[in-house]
This record gives sequence, C-alpha cells and structure tokens, in this order.
Amino acid sequence: MTNSEKYAQCFLEMFEVVSDDLKALEYQSIQAWDSVGHMNLMGVIEEEFEIEMDIDDITDFSSFIKGKEILARYGVIIEA
Amino acid sequence: MFDIKQILALQANRYPMLFLDRVISCVPGESSKCIKNFTYNEWYFPSHYEDDPNAPGFVLIESLVQSFLVTFLSIEGNHGMRTNFLDVKNASFRRKIVPGDVMEIDSELMSFKRGVAKGKSVGRVAGELACSAEFVVCIPDVMELYRPK
Repeated sequence: MTNSEKYAQCFLEMFEVVSDDLKALEYQSIQAWDSVGHMNLMGVIEEEFEIEMDIDDITDFSSFIKGKEILARYGVIIEA
Repeated sequence: MFDIKQILALQANRYPMLFLDRVISCVPGESSKCIKNFTYNEWYFPSHYEDDPNAPGFVLIESLVQSFLVTFLSIEGNHGMRTNFLDVKNASFRRKIVPGDVMEIDSELMSFKRGVAKGKSVGRVAGELACSAEFVVCIPDVMELYRPK
C-alpha cells in the first residue's frame, strides 16, 4: 500500500466518507470531524506512519490537503 | 493511599455526585484501586427502590469512571481538572449492589494522549464481579489546546 493509499484510508475509516469527498474534506466540514474526531484522526495517522506530531502541527492540520503538507515535515511524502 | 480530602483535591466531583471513598493504591498514568462504600444513607436508595433498595446502574458507571479518573488526574499537572465522557463501551452489570456492600474497583489506563484517556474499570464486591466498563474520557481544557484554529 502506498503512503497516499494509507493516508486516504485513515480518513475513510475514521469518518466513513467516500474517496471522492477526500480532497474537499476540512475540519468541521462534516459532523464526524469535530474536536474528538480530530484527536482520533491524529492518533490513527501517527500510528499508521509511526510519527509523533508537535502541537503546532496538530492545530494546523485543518484539512485533508493541509495534512499532506504537514506529514512531509516528518518525512512522510504523500504522493499526488 | 488517598483519603477523602486528597480525593477532593484530585478530582472535581462533589456531593451528591462523588462516588469514591478511598483510593487504596495508585500508579499515576497506569492504574488505581479504589473503594466505594454503599450505605442506606445514600440519596438514591430510598427511591430505588422503596421495597428493594439497590444501586442504580448510573451510580455504578459513575463509580467505575471516577476510579478511572484517578489513573490520569493523578499525573502531575492534571490534579483537579474537569473531565467529560466521550465514550462508554461494554458496560456490564453482574451483581445487585445493596446497602452495606463495599465495592473495590480496579482501573487501568490504556492510553492518555492530548487530554484523551482510554481504559477500563472492574468493580467487585467481596471478590465477586459486580460490574465493569470501558471508557474514553477527556480533559476538555487540555483537548482544546490541540483543536485546529
């Protein structure tokens, strides 16, 4: 499985959305991505990529797109 | 061991919603063992039920979770903080709790990250399984720090 597929899978499983929705997905754009959903999502992504994100990156992680940029800081490259 | 004064300092629940009498042992960030004494003076026994007093399920759940709170509110910096339920799973009730019973509660913290605690509690009376549940509980003031701006 590629990083891109793993990354998408985190959102698909956590929020029960479909692949077509991912690019537009933002914090609080759906009911499931609330503050609790955010904590759970961060935990799943950290576990998947074996990283630990800083508080600034967690508060900056406001969308599916933005998240790719943040993961790159940890050496996790999400292919286009 | 924590007595009632130390329990009051550790967590924010107060009468009539405090359901711990003593913390027998505690390893901050790992586990706790607590005692809840049930007497007929408890406010719910006369009405639940008049002819058959026994502890309501919500009191047992609250007793279990308050013991669980000790596992992470005992961590330096968390003392006295308010908490909220996020999830309760696999709640199980196996024994009626009546006036005179003493429930010993063993709690285990599975994870505590960014103000979110996950774990479980098991309550026993005279060594017999009474109730158990798994919990996800948050400290809102800590969780707030990690919310996207």
